[in-house]
Amino acid sequence: MVTKQPVGSGIPGASSDTSEGIKSQEMLLNMGPQHPSTHGVLRLVLTLEGETVTDCTPVIGYLHRGIEKILENRPIMGGIRYMDNADYLSPMLNETAYAGAVEQLMGLEPPRRAQYIRLLTNELQRIASHLVAIGTYGLDLGAFTPVLWAFRDREGILSLFEALGGSRFNVNYLRVGGVLHDFPAGWLKQCEAFLDQLEKNMMELDRLLTGNEIFESRTQGVGYIDQQQAIAYGLTGPILRASGVNWDLRVNRPYMAYREVAVNPQIRQEGDCFARYMVRMLEITESIRLCRIAIDKMPGGPIGTRTPIALRPPRGETYFALESSKGELGVYFISDGGEYPWRAKLRGPSFVNLQILPEMVRGHKMSDTVAILGSIDIVLGEVDR
Amino acid sequence: MLFASMLIKLASQSSNTNIWLDILEFVVAFLSFFGFVLTSAIILILAERKIMAYMQDRVGPVHTGPWGLLQTVADVGKLLMKEDVHVGQADKTLFILAPSVFLGPVIAAFAVLPLSPYVGIPGTALATGIVYYVAMSSIDVVGVIMAGWSSNNKYSLIGGLRSAAQMISYELPLVLALVGVIMLTSILANSGLGTIAVRDIMTFQATSAYPGKGLGLFDFIFQGFTPWAWFFLQQPLMLIIYYICGLAETNRPPFDLPEAESELVAGYLTEYSGMRWGLFYLGEYGNMTIVSAIAAFLFLGGFSGPGVAFLTGLNNGGWGLLGNLLAVGYFVIKVYLLCFVFIWVRSTLPRLRADQLMQFAWLILIPVTLFNIVVTALIYLVMNALGSPNWLFQIVLGIVNFAMLVGFIYIVGRATTATTRRAQAPAIRAQRRASAAGQLPERAGAGVVGGGQK
Repeated sequence: MVTKQPVGSGIPGASSDTSEGIKSQEMLLNMGPQHPSTHGVLRLVLTLEGETVTDCTPVIGYLHRGIEKILENRPIMGGIRYMDNADYLSPMLNETAYAGAVEQLMGLEPPRRAQYIRLLTNELQRIASHLVAIGTYGLDLGAFTPVLWAFRDREGILSLFEALGGSRFNVNYLRVGGVLHDFPAGWLKQCEAFLDQLEKNMMELDRLLTGNEIFESRTQGVGYIDQQQAIAYGLTGPILRASGVNWDLRVNRPYMAYREVAVNPQIRQEGDCFARYMVRMLEITESIRLCRIAIDKMPGGPIGTRTPIALRPPRGETYFALESSKGELGVYFISDGGEYPWRAKLRGPSFVNLQILPEMVRGHKMSDTVAILGSIDIVLGEVDR
Repeated sequence: MLFASMLIKLASQSSNTNIWLDILEFVVAFLSFFGFVLTSAIILILAERKIMAYMQDRVGPVHTGPWGLLQTVADVGKLLMKEDVHVGQADKTLFILAPSVFLGPVIAAFAVLPLSPYVGIPGTALATGIVYYVAMSSIDVVGVIMAGWSSNNKYSLIGGLRSAAQMISYELPLVLALVGVIMLTSILANSGLGTIAVRDIMTFQATSAYPGKGLGLFDFIFQGFTPWAWFFLQQPLMLIIYYICGLAETNRPPFDLPEAESELVAGYLTEYSGMRWGLFYLGEYGNMTIVSAIAAFLFLGGFSGPGVAFLTGLNNGGWGLLGNLLAVGYFVIKVYLLCFVFIWVRSTLPRLRADQLMQFAWLILIPVTLFNIVVTALIYLVMNALGSPNWLFQIVLGIVNFAMLVGFIYIVGRATTATTRRAQAPAIRAQRRASAAGQLPERAGAGVVGGGQK
């Protein structure tokens, strides 16, 4: 809960007199851009009264690479590769959003097999992204083991992607109208074996973190957002669902194969850091279930529609959004009928979700700043773009 | 070095008045202790990396030497060769002095610890053993504050101040936990006078009564080695509280707030590099060793083990030496078992928050330790009035203390959940009120948002 603190004037560096006549001074602490737990190059200017944070100003832009501008200067197929770098922890989802926007503008419907491959890879990517979120969250709270366990499991997903698209991290696997390759031989078997193993490992991770008294006391009741606030700030993704709002684009605005596969949205009512952590844990389980469904229902047929190499979508504009691991990832796409997008704008969930940070940390202790920032799960590549 | 120390002790026993031999004995003993602390730190660093790697499904260092055994040696070599960097505008004197102030007391604290019946600085005979140890471990905090203040860095300053608050708060329950043991010694000593000398407390944990007395093999095993009389059976809760306070005293997780990596970069260590940083690091691991060593002496029977007292009691040079080597071995095993728990805890638990840390010390640990002192005294008074022998008192005390241990675990669990429930209550209440509005209203023209479903 945000509590009121007796602060002098609220201006950094202002001094306030306590009742004992001792002069105290606020301290301005520059957290980042080089700091172990700002999840990249985020800079937080904290105003501290003792250990209590009275104000927080996020300063962003240290990882700005002009991805939107680059997209305007690449042929549309070539732009997919640059989408990988926006939210570098979930490239598959970024590519799906970009491909989906172009397809929507062209009125193109990818074949069913391609849609199911996309669903499978998207859910795997969601697991990978949540694993990083949970693992680094443990590290933010001082637990060293979860991060290594999480990265070990994520490694399995990256290996699967490597077998699929030839690249571990920046997969560059999706194409407008379909995907690049079909599965290599035995890939689905590998994937199933991995999911079985992952389920066991997740139970282990759950036992290590979830019931831990220290973990609970560090996260429960910390960084509370109520429903109205969450909606007013435009939050999406696990943060929104942890505040008790039932909103998941896979359910509410189903796209591609999600129209055929039912998703159970994971919702918690508490609205604190622990709820956000729990939503991610539950979503991993849900994603494992979805992956299994996708493998079972995997239809045959082509993996893509034939499109010309130089794509020329018709004149017009569109907005396509999907449920990324962090929230609503939208691509706003304007075409002037040419080979290059006239404008491609990303609606990054990390960027929007980061807005609420100052609201949440005010009145908390300095250690909680890290806990709260970790629970938002931002990726600076997507915040700065 | 240890061996040399034993030999000299043996020699000085046979010829009792030679001042030069005494001086030589002191020097060699001191050097062997110095070597013990540093070697132990180096071994512990490697052990920690290997054990944590095993727990985290990694392999740890493998490239330096066989099985990565020389990794720490290589690290220390690298640290020694690094450039000595000073921070501009730092308080240079304090900055340079701080690592020594931190490491010095750690080594000095070993003065009260004998490693075996023969190996020990003359200080082991110090009558104020535990008080001396506590005093030395409190001086550490001065070094930390000096480092934090002189670095001219806000993270360092916060880290230094945090550690000051933390170390001072945890000193109290640490000492109070030891009071229970000291009370036991004064009860067990028939004269009514207890002891605070480490070596003497150890001897109180060996009873003269053991099964098969007089038989060769039983004598060999049980002479001076009676695990059922060790104080951790009578004061298990105090061992655990002492251990928790030891974690806090050494700034180990989950109490590593002064150097909390995720918040304070490296806390008071932020501006240190090279061997100065290395000294802090060695000091931390040396601290770990000494906390474990004190716990081993006070609760786990020190260096006693099968054969030690028997062999050294033979008054034969060669057998005596063997007994001493055995003693050092048992002692090291006990210390490293306790250090293993340090490492285990580190790879399991997240870090506490500063205010929770203080709450835990002042609201839980100190009342519990005070309660234990009262309970121990009351049980003694009652049992004494009933005229029961010491062994019955010890059994009753052990049972009561184990019950208290269960209660303690229950209280801690309840206290944390109660705190979190209190913190969560307004949030949950607000949610209950608002749960009617759980679903977002469907907006007109929703096709624009997420238009892929057309």
